[in-house]
Amino acid sequence: MTRLLSPAGSRVLFLGNEAIARGALEAGVSVATGYPGTPSSEVIESLATVARGRNLYVEWSVNEKVALEVAAAASFAGLRSMAVMKQNGVNVASDFLLHLTASGTRGGLVLVSCEDPGALSSVNEGESRYFAGMLEMPLLEPADFQEAKDMTKWAFELSEAIGNVVMLRSVTRMSHASGNVICGKFPAKTRKAVFRCDGPIMDSQTGPMISTPVVAKHLLRQQKLKTVQALFEKSPFNCYTGPARPDLLLVTASACSLYAAEAVEMLGLQKRVGILKIGTTWPLPPRLVSGHLRKAGKILIVEEVMAFLEENVKVLAAGDPKLSKGKTFFGKYDGTLPFAGELNPDIVADALAKIFKIRRDALSPSYLEEARKTAAMLPPREQTFCAGCPHRASFWSIHNAIALDSREGFVCGDIGCYSMAALTPANGYWTMPTLHSMGSGTGLAGGFAKLAPFGFKKPVLTVCGDSTFYHAVIPALINAQHNRADVTFIVLDNQGTAMTGFQPHPGIEVNALKESVPAVDIAAVCRAIGAKVTVCDPFDLAATGAVLTDFLAEKGLLKVLILRQACALSPEKKGKKTFEMKVDEELCLGDACGCNRLCTRIFRCPALVWDRKKKKAAIDEVVCAGCGVCASICPQKAIVKTPVASAFASGG
Amino acid sequence: MKNKNSGLTKNLILTGVGGQGNVMASRALAGMLVDAGYVVTIGETFGMSQRGGSVMSHLRISPDAVKSPQIPKGGADVIVALEPLEALRVLTVYGNPGVSLISNARSIDPMGVITGERDYPSEETIHEAFARLTARCWIFDATAIGLVLGNPVLSNIVMIGALAGTGLLPIDRRMFAKEIRKTLSPEKYALNLKAFDAGCSMIK
Amino acid sequence: MRKKRSSQSRLKKDVLEQSLCTGCGACVGLCPYQMVYKDRTVQLFDCDLPDGRCRAFCPRTPSDLPLLRESLFDALDATDEIGPVKEFWIARAKDAGLRARSQHGGTVTALLRLAMSEGWIDAAIVSGRLSEREPEGRLIDDAGALADYARSRFWAAPTVAAFHRAPEGEGRRIGVVATPCQALALAKIRTAKIDGYDKGKTLSLVIGLFCGWTLALEPFQNLLETYQLSAANLTGMDIPAGKNILELHTAEGPVNVPMAEVDACVREACRYCVDSTAEFADLSVGAARYGRNSGEMQNWNQVIVRSETGKKLVSLARSRGILEFRETPQEALHELKNAAAEKKKKALARIIAKSRSPQNLLYLNPGDTVVKKYLKT
Repeated sequence: MTRLLSPAGSRVLFLGNEAIARGALEAGVSVATGYPGTPSSEVIESLATVARGRNLYVEWSVNEKVALEVAAAASFAGLRSMAVMKQNGVNVASDFLLHLTASGTRGGLVLVSCEDPGALSSVNEGESRYFAGMLEMPLLEPADFQEAKDMTKWAFELSEAIGNVVMLRSVTRMSHASGNVICGKFPAKTRKAVFRCDGPIMDSQTGPMISTPVVAKHLLRQQKLKTVQALFEKSPFNCYTGPARPDLLLVTASACSLYAAEAVEMLGLQKRVGILKIGTTWPLPPRLVSGHLRKAGKILIVEEVMAFLEENVKVLAAGDPKLSKGKTFFGKYDGTLPFAGELNPDIVADALAKIFKIRRDALSPSYLEEARKTAAMLPPREQTFCAGCPHRASFWSIHNAIALDSREGFVCGDIGCYSMAALTPANGYWTMPTLHSMGSGTGLAGGFAKLAPFGFKKPVLTVCGDSTFYHAVIPALINAQHNRADVTFIVLDNQGTAMTGFQPHPGIEVNALKESVPAVDIAAVCRAIGAKVTVCDPFDLAATGAVLTDFLAEKGLLKVLILRQACALSPEKKGKKTFEMKVDEELCLGDACGCNRLCTRIFRCPALVWDRKKKKAAIDEVVCAGCGVCASICPQKAIVKTPVASAFASGG
Repeated sequence: MKNKNSGLTKNLILTGVGGQGNVMASRALAGMLVDAGYVVTIGETFGMSQRGGSVMSHLRISPDAVKSPQIPKGGADVIVALEPLEALRVLTVYGNPGVSLISNARSIDPMGVITGERDYPSEETIHEAFARLTARCWIFDATAIGLVLGNPVLSNIVMIGALAGTGLLPIDRRMFAKEIRKTLSPEKYALNLKAFDAGCSMIK
Repeated sequence: MRKKRSSQSRLKKDVLEQSLCTGCGACVGLCPYQMVYKDRTVQLFDCDLPDGRCRAFCPRTPSDLPLLRESLFDALDATDEIGPVKEFWIARAKDAGLRARSQHGGTVTALLRLAMSEGWIDAAIVSGRLSEREPEGRLIDDAGALADYARSRFWAAPTVAAFHRAPEGEGRRIGVVATPCQALALAKIRTAKIDGYDKGKTLSLVIGLFCGWTLALEPFQNLLETYQLSAANLTGMDIPAGKNILELHTAEGPVNVPMAEVDACVREACRYCVDSTAEFADLSVGAARYGRNSGEMQNWNQVIVRSETGKKLVSLARSRGILEFRETPQEALHELKNAAAEKKKKALARIIAKSRSPQNLLYLNPGDTVVKKYLKT
């Protein structure tokens, strides 16, 4: 029995993303789609685990745009549907979204964007809140776990009430935090899919689903917002806590409202600060917000990254001279809070302390000094490729091939675990100097390859993961082939969407629902494009190195190397060692060897450590995944691998 | 800084290195406490941090209210560390003179130590720092216990057992058994109970 | 205390970046950091160790040449132009079959075979076959197989690396066929005084090859392409005296390439080399070419005997009838010396052009009397 299906009335600990999933189930969602991306993945993942036997279709789509299109089709057929993605996924989906908000929707359609202020698991801290304003669709932001569930459920109703998409935005500290949720009921009836398209063009419920006539439909979309604002005025997701006449009104939304409440409590300011927590962030309900703004002379707006809420509150206040007169606004524009990074209770408390000119209680100076001194001696724990990670072996070969080629070749990076080759350059042996969005490595490589007439002589390589390949690489690859770009394109195929937790992708013969589906073969796609294709096991350093040096020497064409080896954390591999690894202490010469600790100083496997007492290399058996690659790099052949007869796994 | 008006909220931080079963342990712990009627909020860092990086879960255990998923600096009541360096790292940010610490003694070298660029603090240095930065601390090799039981990852359960043994939180063996019975096979259930007991017995 | 600069970074700065690297392989095979790929020495990863053997053995790092000469040869044999000369012969292998498979007179292969069959050496290191994809040194311990490697190729092989990689065993002895730069590296290895290193002792015989220059592989491959050829098509190559061409042997017959085209492909490092006769070998062998009409010398070798070892081997070859000899005209040695002196002068002039100072001769010592003699001031 899964917690997600707990009976109505039960109090359950849900991850924020599970709360969103539960809310969707309580709303009677029929179709849920998404593309994996931290911190969003668990919404679709948890829905997939309960889909069987319910009237629910769950899909890991090839990318966010397709995910939204698949969900929209269900909405057009009158079903409730949702598309789930991380913040930059909304950018991917945005072209369709622009047209979708113009055509309107039928069955409740919710776009869930889980965002990552501070980029804890991203290479951007993109904002999708502005899409709500730009595309004129309602935006909801839950501030706790119960709300995450309740608000999701209501988002479907709202979408149906106005015939347009509703965006629900969460953040890492909501999606990946857990809290208590009291479950509600599941709907009794399921809907039937019906798509009518015989009505008048201006009737989105019966007519063609189309964004034209553009101006008329645009005006229609704006009219819907009046309905939205009226509903938002009465929404229970907006609430005020604090005195009737506070010295300062703190306006906030999302997880920030938890930080704000904690900060007020930490400073003992409960009698002086009122908190207006907004759940319906766009369009702001004007009467509600104005009413609260009147209460205080000082207004502090607390939100993460951009000043979206602050701007909207200020626009609202500016519209009423009586309201804005004599008010001081604190937020990002005056420098009270930063425009970048995530917030926490301490940052908000510091901001409040500054405004109120009070001192925060601190720990004793001697304790703080002790903590400071201790912190200074702690070696950082930087991210690395896991023990047994195929990427380490791949980059080893890539590095060596580039070095042998001697033309200062480089790798255009892409998004996945292998991004770590760029984030900590030593992990990728200093080969990967660019990193942007999914698929952009291949596009960039194709561009670099066309710079030869301008005196550019470096050979260009690029990498992408298997899931990334399907998501956004194929157009760039076709572009490279069609334009005769001399690119060595490497697919780091670790047999799943490893970074986000092994969600299936089109290359896997199983879908989100664990049904058997046809796999789309990467090699076949590349061959069909017309590229020269080789498939190799990255753990075979010699073979991989030979292919890569040949590819670099072969000029003027697109070359594809697929390095196939499952991720060390994949369910089929985790806890199972292929080899038992050992350092032969007789053969390892330690610092007397001319190798200058190649294995620990350069290779960087967390399981291959330097024994400080013996002054020799050693294997940390607890960390070692038994991939055997390190045996190939020791010039003394001192790292010995013994095949493990029968692999077994047991969990803790 | 300790919360002025949150004496009733217990703040616990579970820390370790990616792959040590930190998230599983925090969920199990929170599950027990929710069953016992508490309002629990967990804040977690995972995703990229998992790849050999530091992993940290913040547990806020309140009788009545949802709390911020991030504990304020200096605000930890209890720290459970699956790795000693991570114990120190958390202590220097969230520690205070009243904090209790339970730490695994088995170290995992960070990459900077493996490559020789940095030094791992000596056992003596670590123990001295623990003594200076905590009110109470317990240190033992939970990984060794896990290895004896057949899997080093069991160290996370050993630590939960130890935490129960300290009496710092309202949890016990019966609650643990009830919690893990929901998800584990009978074989793993028995093994996890053994690990719990072994941890509990480490606290004197 | 200031940290000593790493040997690897000094090699990079002083040799690789100065285009002095000959690709001899002396820095390769000792550690995992240096490799030779397509005749280029490549540093794979940074190594921060000082006092590395890579730098100690490199023939293009500064070395005490007078001391090397003193410790390996008899001072009485010294000549300025071509190093020590104990004996000078015009000779060739008696075995006509071997001669036919060889570049010139088959002398080198005949001597190696003899040394191996006599047990003077257990294995010989020679440069790989012409047809092999990557130039590499080969360790051969079967005397019968030696003739397969008898033809010259005109680009560098990292032969010294093969010596570093050769397995060490009790009393094991190795012979090496070496170009002048390789012979210098091997001399440095033989005389090295490095704690814990005594592999130099296994080096029992170094047969030097006369060498004017080698080709840089990549430009040469590009040149071959203009003749619709690749290195794999070549069965041999030669520079017939007086014709000013490089003769490429292929299955479809010879292809002649004008020397001016070949010249553009010469490895830059070779332009700074002052040694054309492998002055640090036990004995050196080259094509016999002197006089206006050298056609009849086509299948003969000139042999410079330099050390006691070299002398013993050649006299054994004579007594066993392995080699045959012909009269050695005085002008042959004279011409050889003149040519060698010319090369020294030219190379030194180029070195000064590079360093911009007669006081800075890069890897050579301006105080060395031999160097001094050919230094244009």
